[in-house]
Amino acid sequence: MDVTKLVEQGLFQLFEGVRVDDGTDLSKPLLVLNPKSPVVEVTTTERVSLALLCTDSVSSKVTLRLAPQAKCSVALLCLGRGVLALDVEQGAESESRITTALLSDATLSYNVRLLGERAASEFDGLYIATGNDHCSVSLNVRHEVAECKSRSMIKGVAAGTATGEFRGLVYVAKDAQRTDAEQQNRNIELDRSHIVALPQLEIYADDVRCSHGSTVGRADEEAVFYMRQRGLSEADARRLLLEGFVQEVAQACDVAHICRMMAEEIDKRLLTI
Amino acid sequence: MLKVTDLHASVGDKEILRGINLEVKAGEVHAIMGPNGSGKSTLASVLAGNDKFTVTSGSVTFEGEDMLSMSVEERAHKGMFLGFQYPVEIPGVTMANFMKLAVNERRKAEGKEPLTAAEFLRLMREKSAVVELDAKMTSRAVNEGFSGGEKKKNEIFQMAMLDPKLAVLDETDSGLDIDALRIVATGVTRLHTPQNATVVITHYQRLLDYIVPDVVHVLYKGRIIYSGDKSLALKLEKEGYDWLINDYKE
Repeated sequence: MDVTKLVEQGLFQLFEGVRVDDGTDLSKPLLVLNPKSPVVEVTTTERVSLALLCTDSVSSKVTLRLAPQAKCSVALLCLGRGVLALDVEQGAESESRITTALLSDATLSYNVRLLGERAASEFDGLYIATGNDHCSVSLNVRHEVAECKSRSMIKGVAAGTATGEFRGLVYVAKDAQRTDAEQQNRNIELDRSHIVALPQLEIYADDVRCSHGSTVGRADEEAVFYMRQRGLSEADARRLLLEGFVQEVAQACDVAHICRMMAEEIDKRLLTI
Repeated sequence: MLKVTDLHASVGDKEILRGINLEVKAGEVHAIMGPNGSGKSTLASVLAGNDKFTVTSGSVTFEGEDMLSMSVEERAHKGMFLGFQYPVEIPGVTMANFMKLAVNERRKAEGKEPLTAAEFLRLMREKSAVVELDAKMTSRAVNEGFSGGEKKKNEIFQMAMLDPKLAVLDETDSGLDIDALRIVATGVTRLHTPQNATVVITHYQRLLDYIVPDVVHVLYKGRIIYSGDKSLALKLEKEGYDWLINDYKE
């Protein structure tokens, strides 16, 4: 993918700074290409769209700090091998909305700390592991103060002899009353692949709403039957079902242009299964 | 059109259908009633080719062809439609995308060219009106987040799109309020022609106020134990099944 072209076409603006404040031009999504260890601080209350695109092999740690009432959408698309960490710290009433797609042998560690009241965090993540890949996603969502909200959905697909792994923790501190947290993990194992899922809750407050769930399975056979009854071949039914499962993540992405790229790259990756 | 002869089917070791005989001709509407667990839904699933059930003996022919040797999708291509009691949600797959594939696969099997995008859109608009389905629904994921009524309307919408020769509707009336029932039932009636046939599986007589059957069958313990005209449904509604099934109780 020719990234300079994306910038020349005016779809994104390359971002190399640290602070995103009231003076920053937000007319186009900010793009960080193959990030190393940037720390991005958002102090404006305008919605910020940030695209993180990894086309090479990378080892990166992105830190995102949201000041009170900051609103930030992040899309992370990883096409090369990578070891990635995304650390988010959120002030009061801030909102983060993060979509990630790992489409190669890659590892993501996502940590969010909700440090100010009524902060909200949304996370949709996908990995597709094929061949001999090993993909893993670990989530650590920490509710440190009261009345924060978090929702995360992590989807994994493994094919061939690939392996996948999910570790998820929702931590609710003693004073984080009225926390509303949800963490869901859905996995599809194809061929001879194997996926391990370890969801965990650690709750010290007593007035909270927390839910989590994790499933590992093959295709939904009832859905396959339903689609064949309407005339689709079994192969088409399975392909469409898998496409729907993974594309939901790209549909959740709200960073302009990169959501389309994400959908296209996911489709390309599916063709290798 | 459909001829079922001494059909036996089981799930695991349990025999559920124990010798079904049924003949449905073009232009007819049949209703199948019966207490819970009598095998009504199993019959619908077996006709559609669900491999959860094993046919152990008997035959099913559809327009003279052996239907039991056909795959699920071949049966669909020949014009067999099953309206599901519990329509399945398919996350991330839009109704439009799903229906486009379904319609064009059927056309391919019939040796016809696929519809163009414009033709397909026109067809969707026309058919969604049959069940007063909001056209916006077609851009949503299949059945996902649909209410009970919307799911059932969506089944009939798909039936309208695929124009089947034989529609088997498995408890299409369950979970519907009066308005949704009227819309769904009126939709089914509008789709009925002298060339096609409908089999409705139902618990309640009220559906048959709209969809008037030529024949009503009572299924009990895997067999059709009694058949009559539409007045049978009214009698069953008033008197229950006891007068019929007492002789068959074990």
